[in-house]
Amino acid sequence: MTTGFAPAAQPSPTRSAIAAQVRDVVKTYGRGDTAVRALDGVNLEIAAERFTAVMGPSGSGKSTLMHALAGLDTINAGQVLLGDTDLSGLGERKRTLLRRDRIGFVFQSFNLVPTLTAAENIVLPLPLAGRPPDRAWIDDLVATLGLGDRLRHRPAELSGGQQQRVAVARALAARPQIVFADEPTGNLDSRAGEALLSFLRHAAHELGQTIVMVTHDPNAAAFADRVVFLADGRVVGDLAEPTAAAILSRMASIDAPATRKTR
Amino acid sequence: MWRLTLRNTLARRARLALTLIAVVLGVTFVTGSLILTDTSQRLLDEQFRTSTAGVDLTVRDAAAFDSAMGVEVERDPLPATLVDRIRAVPGVAAARPVVRGQGLLSADGKTIVPPGASLLASWEPAPVGAFTLRAGDPPAADDELVVDADTARRHHIELGDTVTVRAEQTESLRVVGLAGFGDGPGLPNSTVGLVTLPTAQHLLKLGGDVSEVAVVAADGTDVQRLRDRVEAAIGSGYAVSAGQDIAASSAAAAKTQVDHLQLMLFALAAAALLVGALLIANTFSIVITQRTRELAVLRAAGATGAQVLWSVLGEALLVGFTASVAGIGLGVATAAGLRDLAGAFGITLPDGGLVVAPRTMIVAFAVGVGVTVFSAIGPARRAASVAPVEAMRRSAAASAPGGRVRTITGWGMTGIGASSLVAVLAGSGSLALVGAAALAAIAGLALLGPALTPRLARLIGRPLDATGIPGRLARESAARTPRRTAATALALALGLALISFMTVLATSIKDSIQRSYTEVITADYVIESARNEMLGGLSHHVHHHVGELPEVAVASRLRYGHWKDGAHTNALTAVDPVTLPRVTSLRMAAGDLNAISGGGVVLAERAARERHLALGDSLPMTFSRTGTQRLPVVGLLRDRDAQALSTDYIISLDTYSRNYRENMDASVFVKVADGVSDAAAKKAITAKLADHPTAQLRDQAAAVAGRTMSIDQILGLVSVLLMLTILIALMGITNTLALSIIERTREIGLLRAVGMTRGQLRWMIRGEAVLIAVLAIVVGVGLGIAFAAGTVSALGSTAELALVVPAGRLVLVVAVATLAGLLAGMLPARRAAKLDVLTAIATS
Repeated sequence: MTTGFAPAAQPSPTRSAIAAQVRDVVKTYGRGDTAVRALDGVNLEIAAERFTAVMGPSGSGKSTLMHALAGLDTINAGQVLLGDTDLSGLGERKRTLLRRDRIGFVFQSFNLVPTLTAAENIVLPLPLAGRPPDRAWIDDLVATLGLGDRLRHRPAELSGGQQQRVAVARALAARPQIVFADEPTGNLDSRAGEALLSFLRHAAHELGQTIVMVTHDPNAAAFADRVVFLADGRVVGDLAEPTAAAILSRMASIDAPATRKTR
Repeated sequence: MWRLTLRNTLARRARLALTLIAVVLGVTFVTGSLILTDTSQRLLDEQFRTSTAGVDLTVRDAAAFDSAMGVEVERDPLPATLVDRIRAVPGVAAARPVVRGQGLLSADGKTIVPPGASLLASWEPAPVGAFTLRAGDPPAADDELVVDADTARRHHIELGDTVTVRAEQTESLRVVGLAGFGDGPGLPNSTVGLVTLPTAQHLLKLGGDVSEVAVVAADGTDVQRLRDRVEAAIGSGYAVSAGQDIAASSAAAAKTQVDHLQLMLFALAAAALLVGALLIANTFSIVITQRTRELAVLRAAGATGAQVLWSVLGEALLVGFTASVAGIGLGVATAAGLRDLAGAFGITLPDGGLVVAPRTMIVAFAVGVGVTVFSAIGPARRAASVAPVEAMRRSAAASAPGGRVRTITGWGMTGIGASSLVAVLAGSGSLALVGAAALAAIAGLALLGPALTPRLARLIGRPLDATGIPGRLARESAARTPRRTAATALALALGLALISFMTVLATSIKDSIQRSYTEVITADYVIESARNEMLGGLSHHVHHHVGELPEVAVASRLRYGHWKDGAHTNALTAVDPVTLPRVTSLRMAAGDLNAISGGGVVLAERAARERHLALGDSLPMTFSRTGTQRLPVVGLLRDRDAQALSTDYIISLDTYSRNYRENMDASVFVKVADGVSDAAAKKAITAKLADHPTAQLRDQAAAVAGRTMSIDQILGLVSVLLMLTILIALMGITNTLALSIIERTREIGLLRAVGMTRGQLRWMIRGEAVLIAVLAIVVGVGLGIAFAAGTVSALGSTAELALVVPAGRLVLVVAVATLAGLLAGMLPARRAAKLDVLTAIATS
């Protein structure tokens, strides 16, 4: 992925639009004495066409928050809005269809179906929905991600970086309302990781794709437009246009009291 | 290590459960078959021992052989004067004349037709007679009758009732007593009528003669010496046999049917176990693959390869042992059910307490544990070869398509099988070659499975693409794991191959019987016994009565008889050469049918060819009554015509009556007189048959059905039992898919996350199940038809037989198997759909 990114098709005029929001969300696991409050009254707005990173130490609730936002998990109290759809009231089937039609995913690993080729993996959600793929859009994505010569390969024949790029292409193929990326660079070397993050930033800014990324890596978060910090199931910080250094120092200040509290 | 083995087995009990069931079913089958045949044999032994228990010697007319094809020969009666001569021999305490024959009983105007014999005998008190009074008195007057308590209970016959006995004469007698046999209330599957000696002689038209003389030795007399003395006193022409020898030989004759059934059941049990073994090997192999990392950790922690090997074999031992225990229990429970099943398909076995011999237990355990452990050897060796470093690697689930050597050997074996089959089809093969070709082809396909499966699965699964991504994924999933897909499909294919083979072969045989019958037999009607006895069993009166009717132009009768040729038993047909040509269109290849009137024999062309006989040669034939006779060959009959008469050897009725005591017809062919309507003729004949309750008037279609009934019955029984094999194979599909889902948890989580609905996921799994089933259908039904064609071709060199593929029945087999495949996918599909998306994604 050494090629430069194509200029934006449509620079976004409405930077302030809200793609999703979370209101007073509570999520507990277990019951009684062993109950854990993974999300403890979280409030958050995700700006449209921006690249937002969610950070926090392990156990902070960042993955739970993403799962709730993406309709992968239910919540106990509060509201999760995707556009103007309230996810908290949706049943399993409706959430599945919502994921299929309006959400894209990039996981840390095992993003691809091993039996399908790269090309088939990229369009995977579309035939599931019975929708025809937008060929021009997908060709663009493939070209931009530098996957043109890997399309007929199966995942086992691709490098880790290539696999993640195929996953990103898959996430964007259906032009979802939001793409969620869960530690997308966790298994990549730093060069491949940076290339992927640059593309995500590019996708938000130039292609108008709303992206939410969960990570614990400050260098990765620094590619985002905004970083939200989570600890003990609450939002404890918010940083716009972050740098790695700023993120690190903010994390240190969050970690300290959290550590004290558990003692 | 053993504690670990035990804990491993218990932890994976769900994964091993279906394997367990497969072994259980196989062991159940073996146990049930053994118990059933042991029980039948013991009951027959006991029955015949009881019937001769009080008799030391039995004197009968001499015969060259006692029984043929399970039927005891009839002997000439003895003069009553013989009794006094025997009585005079020193050491004889008692010599009693006994009359025995067949007599149907009718109560309340209804004739009782048991599945077995309708015994009519003279009453003898113990120790000579084996029947004991249960109620009432023994028959004393000529119009008195004792029936067995079992028949009385079943047909509501009470003391004082009138029962009609139909033998050579028909008489109505008064029931004065009820008798039991040994400990039981009667003889299994039979009716018994006991009368005074004069009544028995009258009913069976014996005059003053008797069937046999029962001799009781005086106390302290050596039976062997007594036998010599009796033999010397009455001279040759009579046979003096020890009671126990007669019991043994009668039992052996009665057991031939049990032996055939046992052979069939064992063959089917072997098929079920083979399918089970494939399933076990597959399950262990999948579980080992999934445990590669765990095994590697064990190896890294210091376990030796041998310890890992024994740990896996230990698991197999546990599974095999548990399954055998359960299988033996179930086998005992189902043996009676198996007997009912055989009964439903016309194979009558005696009813009584089950015999569970120690041998049965040992065989069942050996089979259950043996098959399981043997099947696990391959996977265990692979487990032992897991290197410790693999603990560090990410698991690679995709299995290799099989080595080059394996594939080349597979092609070789398949090639040998296919070319042998082609040779047989070209007309130069024997049944043995067909069998060898089948074994080679199956072994070859088993070896080729992993190499062929990906291509075959993708080809056959093409229609699945129409259902979109779920179908496409189902196809790829089957193609991706060729070893297990091949093993799973092969198990089902074997069952389907057996069913298709049996179906095609049976249909071809039935078709050729029908064709030869309809082409050769020109009679309007045939009268036959509804019971299809081995020798026909039609009263000789029928021919006489029907022949007299003015509506009937010709009535020509056929008789069957057995003769021996060294150790071989053959069947012959006796005909009337004058009337037979008027009801058939027989064409001789050489000689003249009429010439048999002179005491000669007509041979089917194929029999002449086999024996290298030509017109003018003579054929030595051994008859039970008259010993070995040399009959001149006076004609050769076309094979097809011979098949229509169900025989290769034809003699005249006169020759028959000289050499046989049997006085039963097999069939009476009837040609209706000119100008008489079928309906009128039918009415007149039916009226004449009123006195012969087992006689049936059949048109051509019914006559063919009567001749093919036994084929239908055997096909029915075998198909039902083969369903068990299919059931085991289907559990294999369920098992393989359930295990594969465990392996594909991450993939399923991903698919669900990106928007695959539960419904789509279920169809994906079911699609894979159906694909495996269809793969098995293509291979199995193909093999079945191919080798049925080979068998027909091999048999065709000695019999008139042409291949007939019953499309309707095969389509039914295909439809049922496909549907069953769908059902087999239900459980795994449901389990996959229940997987929680988040848990699935998080699984490593």
